[in-house]
Amino acid sequence: MEINNRDNNRPHYINPYLGGVLLGLLVIITVYITGRGLGASGAVKSAVVTTAEAITPAHAESNPYMSKFTGGDHSPMYNWLVFESLGIFFGGLLSGILFGRLKKIRIEKSPKITNKTRLIAALTGGILFGIGSQFGRGCSSGAALSGSSTFSLGGVIVMLVLFGTGYAIAWMFKKLWI
Amino acid sequence: MGPLIPNGVITGDWDFVIALIIGIIFGFLLESSGFSSSRNIVGVFYGYNFVVLRVFFTAVIVAMVGLLYFDYFGWLDLDKIFILPTYLTPMIVGSVIMGFGFVLGGFCPGTSYTAIAIGKLDALVFTVGLFIGIFIFSETFPLFQDFYYSGYLGNVTLTDVTGIPAAWFAFAFTIIALASFWITMVIEKRVRKNITEYKF
Amino acid sequence: MNKNYIFLTILMILLAAGTLFLDNRKDNYQIKPEVLLYEIIQPTRYVTTDQVAKMIIDKDPTLELIDVRSPEEFDKFSLTNAINVPLDSIITAGSQDYFGLPGVKVVFYSNGDICADQAWVLTRRMGYKDTYVMKGGLNRWIETIIQPKEPPQEAPYTDFELYQFRKGAQIYFTGAEIESTQVKKKSSVKVRRRKKTVTASGGC
Repeated sequence: MEINNRDNNRPHYINPYLGGVLLGLLVIITVYITGRGLGASGAVKSAVVTTAEAITPAHAESNPYMSKFTGGDHSPMYNWLVFESLGIFFGGLLSGILFGRLKKIRIEKSPKITNKTRLIAALTGGILFGIGSQFGRGCSSGAALSGSSTFSLGGVIVMLVLFGTGYAIAWMFKKLWI
Repeated sequence: MGPLIPNGVITGDWDFVIALIIGIIFGFLLESSGFSSSRNIVGVFYGYNFVVLRVFFTAVIVAMVGLLYFDYFGWLDLDKIFILPTYLTPMIVGSVIMGFGFVLGGFCPGTSYTAIAIGKLDALVFTVGLFIGIFIFSETFPLFQDFYYSGYLGNVTLTDVTGIPAAWFAFAFTIIALASFWITMVIEKRVRKNITEYKF
Repeated sequence: MNKNYIFLTILMILLAAGTLFLDNRKDNYQIKPEVLLYEIIQPTRYVTTDQVAKMIIDKDPTLELIDVRSPEEFDKFSLTNAINVPLDSIITAGSQDYFGLPGVKVVFYSNGDICADQAWVLTRRMGYKDTYVMKGGLNRWIETIIQPKEPPQEAPYTDFELYQFRKGAQIYFTGAEIESTQVKKKSSVKVRRRKKTVTASGGC
């Protein structure tokens, strides 16, 4: 596992405004076709429910949060967000190959910390984000992006508070990044 | 007349094929804009890389304005689309927690999938963390079940709450977003003077 | 590059400003006059009292009876499970939820034909489909269902069949009816209303 050393060839990214316009159009098309926006954290939730059902079915049924998604003909994985998230993975893969970013497994962090620190931070960040996304009824793609685009109050709240909090506390973790 | 699937114009069997295709485009756009790198993403908080702000705000204003035009031309019935339900206090609390998770982890779920695709191990660890976090949540759910459902305002839009037509929000947000693009250009130049790497 | 950005910024501002001037045409939606004229002369928009009686007896779930008379007349007598939407309230925003439910047949009735016909025209003009008028209204209902007349001996067999049916319906309605007028005060009619917002599900 190596540190992602930035060399003189900075990675080539598309113009962010172009990306934004295309992403906005994608949201419009998604809403036009499906009546809903994009999302991402829902797929992990489905994965959790599926795993719990597979290992301890009785416990999953009795859990008041998971029981909403258990049972029925299909596995909880057979839902829209899971397929969309799979698509996100492959889309990223495609782009990575196209732009030459598909390299060996690596960890990205500031040079001032160790790999271990970064991984612990990533794990903690993931856990916190997982918990928060359930309260927030979505993550930055589902709630903030799609929610705000469809003028929903909840989406705007999530967007403002999520990024607002980020700005407020970023100084505490500066060492992780630069 | 949109939305197509709820109106039965496209049958439900295509649902998942469409989901996959939309996801692929989404993932492609995220990765090619630079969201597969956690250091790019958190740059918005430290001022050296505002790609998150540019892409995100542009997407929101394009979508807002576009949806309004679609509704006006009769292509889309805005009353029939899914509006995120608002649970005031839990959402605020959840967003604060997500803010911490965002800065610590440097990812959000969608971007972490694209980063895994190009081989970032920290993204994989982040996604495992998501899994654990949601699991912890569902296990401890009975403790705060009432809180989780509190503050329910319904599937309300900004217009429902304030009575101001959606177009005003779209316009105001566009102005704010465009202003922020120009301002952050200046900020970026200044912050980047002191550091050597800012695009990862 | 800066010039392009300035152009794009102005373009975006114009597009967003444009949304401020879009008026929501939805409130004034009307079907074309030619379409309305064509549909008015179709006899298929009428249902007979026998058809309505049959649907009530069969407990047809797609039937939605709308009584367009005044509330006082409605309280005195109305058909089973009918909803009272007085003619002057047909086009108010609050009544719109009764129309346009997928798969539901809306049948307007009044004492005669005229008010129900007017309700039909008003709602059809707004674009609601699957609407009908009970021909002859309650006057005809009483003639055919409550007090059916026995056909003369020379009448064809089908007339006798119809009479049998109406006799049966008479028993059903007048026998059950006495109870229903008493019960009506206590039980509330279950009204289906079109759900306003969420028809697509979603979330993250």
